[in-house]
Amino acid sequence: MRKGSEGRNRLLLITLVITALFLITLDLRGVGLLNGARQGTQTILTPFQRAGNVVVAPFKNFLSDITHLGRSRAQIERLRADNAKLEVQLLNRANADAQLIQLKSILNLAGTAGYKIVNARVISQGSSQSFSQVITIDAGTTAGIKTNMTVISQSGLTGVVKEAYSNSATIMLASDPTFRIGVRIAGSQQIGILSGRGNRSASLQLLDNQTSVKVGDILLSRGSVSNRPFVPGVPVGYVTAIDNSAGAIAQSATVHLYTDFSILGVVAVVIAAPVINPGDALVPAKPQPTPVPTVTIYVTPSPTPTN
Amino acid sequence: MITRRISISAPIILAVYVLQESVINQFHFPGGGFSLFSILALIWAVLSRPEIAALCGFFAGLLMDFSQSSGGPIGQWSLIMIAACYAISYFGSGNESLASNPLGVTFLVTIVFFLAELTYVASGALLGVQMGEISQTAITLIGMSLWTLAVTPLSLPVFSRLHGLAFDKRSAI
Repeated sequence: MRKGSEGRNRLLLITLVITALFLITLDLRGVGLLNGARQGTQTILTPFQRAGNVVVAPFKNFLSDITHLGRSRAQIERLRADNAKLEVQLLNRANADAQLIQLKSILNLAGTAGYKIVNARVISQGSSQSFSQVITIDAGTTAGIKTNMTVISQSGLTGVVKEAYSNSATIMLASDPTFRIGVRIAGSQQIGILSGRGNRSASLQLLDNQTSVKVGDILLSRGSVSNRPFVPGVPVGYVTAIDNSAGAIAQSATVHLYTDFSILGVVAVVIAAPVINPGDALVPAKPQPTPVPTVTIYVTPSPTPTN
Repeated sequence: MITRRISISAPIILAVYVLQESVINQFHFPGGGFSLFSILALIWAVLSRPEIAALCGFFAGLLMDFSQSSGGPIGQWSLIMIAACYAISYFGSGNESLASNPLGVTFLVTIVFFLAELTYVASGALLGVQMGEISQTAITLIGMSLWTLAVTPLSLPVFSRLHGLAFDKRSAI
């Protein structure tokens, strides 16, 4: 009886082993049925795995946090450092982009007039404690910059070099109350003196009492002897208001300066003026006024009702 | 009697298989983790007679072969588990003090698990299955064995009771 049982057991064992070997052989020979069985198992398990993933996710994260506690902390620190670095880079990038736009415009302006310029970045805005309007740039005498040179920005005149050092220079802005420049009106060629007021507006005093100025007139720099401190033809601003006070010898006006002094990032110092005066070549295009739609309404009176 | 045993054993084994595949496999335990399903199969085998153990090993191995995480040919795990379960049952039934002692079962399961895994690696290499670097394989092998050593005593009471339920045994480890 026991012998028979042992024989059956042995037969079962041999059968199982042969079956396993048979399966291996079939699988190695690439029988599709077995691959189908594996795929079928996976198909059945997929919903369970999805459900398991949902259930397990919080525990998995918790477990992962515990097992990688030291590593996670170090990683967080590293990521924080990377993030801070990237933020600085991004900030610098945005700053560089803005400066690039300004620089392109300056080069366009200088290129049109044929000015030889040295580009410089604004590295400091002067304190307004002394009520002066100055900036400091990162280029100086080593770059060919000297005192009394014209400084331009993308829009036009910015100021004049007040002091030049080896690697930096101080620029007096056109908005400085002590700033004076000889200007001419584009087109009519009338001349006058422009004075800073401490902000973006300036005062224009015409020199000839026979001439007149009108709102919208564009002012350009007249130029100085040997082109210092001012080269000719740089756009300065446009007239926004006329002062017709009685008893005045010559007409005066309020001028809006082209340069926005609050956003100066890059400026250019004109180190050599063109041989030929650019004249009115740098007069900026007049802004196109936004068309205002006109609506005409025709009213047809209806006959008065009579009772 | 056989039908009853199979009808009770099969759902238990399948449930643990699903648990292994859908839950436990989602954790990335250090050192490779553990296979609750393998532990169940080995505990089931150590508590059964050799022929039942071999049968259990075959079906457990077949399910392991069907798993997506198995890289070898179908039948490889079946063959290994037949041998492992038969061997563990043979040693267990031959030594009552070992099979009835939880500590003895734990060590037996761990050793057989380690040997089964080693056989899988060796046979896989012969069959052309990519196993990765030897050092990494060794670390995983040792890590899984240590996990088995840790998890077996915890799961032994549950699996032992379930086995007792299926095989109508009054006493359980």
